[in-house]
Amino acid sequence: MASPPVRTSSRDTVDALLTACAGGDPAAFAPVYDALGPVAYGASLGVLRDPDHAAEVTQEVMVEVWQTAARFDATRGSARTWVATLARRRAVDRVRSEQARRDRDQRDTDLRMGESVRDVVVEDVERNLEGSAVRRCIEGLTPTQREAVVVAYYGGLTYREVAEQLDAALPTVKSRIRDGLNRLRDCLGVRHG
Amino acid sequence: MADEMTGTGPQNVRPDVWDLLPGYALDALDDLDRRAVERLLESDADARRELDEYREVVAAFAIETEPPAALRASVLERVQSTPQLPAVSLPPAAPGLEPGPAVTSSGVSALGSGPTPDAGATPGLAAAPGEGTMPDAGNDVVDLASRRRSRRWGVAAVSVAAAAAIAVPTTIAVQVTAERDRLREQSQVVAEMLADPEGSILRRAIEGGGQASVLVADGDLFFRAEDLPDLDPDRAYQLWVVAPDGSVSSAGVLAEDDGDVSSLVRQADGIGIAVTVEPEGGSEQPTTDPIVVLTT
Repeated sequence: MASPPVRTSSRDTVDALLTACAGGDPAAFAPVYDALGPVAYGASLGVLRDPDHAAEVTQEVMVEVWQTAARFDATRGSARTWVATLARRRAVDRVRSEQARRDRDQRDTDLRMGESVRDVVVEDVERNLEGSAVRRCIEGLTPTQREAVVVAYYGGLTYREVAEQLDAALPTVKSRIRDGLNRLRDCLGVRHG
Repeated sequence: MADEMTGTGPQNVRPDVWDLLPGYALDALDDLDRRAVERLLESDADARRELDEYREVVAAFAIETEPPAALRASVLERVQSTPQLPAVSLPPAAPGLEPGPAVTSSGVSALGSGPTPDAGATPGLAAAPGEGTMPDAGNDVVDLASRRRSRRWGVAAVSVAAAAAIAVPTTIAVQVTAERDRLREQSQVVAEMLADPEGSILRRAIEGGGQASVLVADGDLFFRAEDLPDLDPDRAYQLWVVAPDGSVSSAGVLAEDDGDVSSLVRQADGIGIAVTVEPEGGSEQPTTDPIVVLTT
């Protein structure tokens, strides 16, 4: 995949671009969009899987990034993480409200949707994460940890829903996800302070 | 403490709530659990730090993908007509919340004037994060750093090179933030200790000069001393927690600031404190007689 040059810029540069656009100059936002738009779109797409929905979420998120740029705190994490967090939150909200609507309308549709989520997930992850740092780390998880983390992430599901989908006990799911994320944290070298 | 397990107090958090941080980072919690985590985040800087780490892990799952080309123009157009929000979304901070000296001095004056439950009650509440419109940005950000940042940058359009150059002093910002969080937490704890009807305050003159006081409440100890005599550079004041059976355990070497020291010892389960003069770096056990002992 060809990347525009700005994508390869260092974390500090992207963080500083975001910080700099907090001054109120809309022109300063264009490089921020170029650097972080793909993160917002990628994070939304991972959960929503529908390009149109993901584009809508990306638009909302990037405008929100502009609006709240002054609240970005580089000491708490990178701009990339901040934007990915915002995008994922919105994407998950959208999945949930959609699901709630379906729950009201049509129980059987919902059931079908639940199954399709699970199917897509397992194959997609293996393929899409090819070459990324997280791929190698995911392979270090136990199969049950991997399944729980991946289903929670890509399904945009709650612990309870993950438990239902995997037919496992709720506490089991909680500890699998916790242990899985802890191992990923170590593997990815994510340690602050 | 029994309370630690049951977690009923305002400051106490169910121990299993820490285990929910990964789920919070994944947006995988139901409302009840989410609120429990948010309460933890309000009072615990370590939990916020851990959450930030989990968020970074979760963000690693995002596979960067070029958005549809048309999106760029439409976002940039909307940005033109969308005003930015200020750095701080919280209501104005209550007195005592301001980081730095204000926190310390509120501790000092409250200690000096005896238990005044109301005086200390506000700072803790005022620290409440998570009020923002964002999942994250509102958290613990009464953010002086970013306020300063936006002022400094003003309307300047900054080149990438210049932007990279100013990104360097992040470590300093991290230190300042950590210290601010620490002081804020400390002021909150002390406020709650003061509000505890079971709490008590002891004061005594220190042998050799100065005044010491300690606030004891619910297993926590807040020690303060003023006008301590200067020590030789290779000596240090060391704080000891005195257990009900008279034994002592180290609560660390005291960092002195112009003759003043203070230290908050949490869940110490002691009946008081003692201070000795030890070699720089501290001792395993006291090697000299205490210059002050304060026990209930």
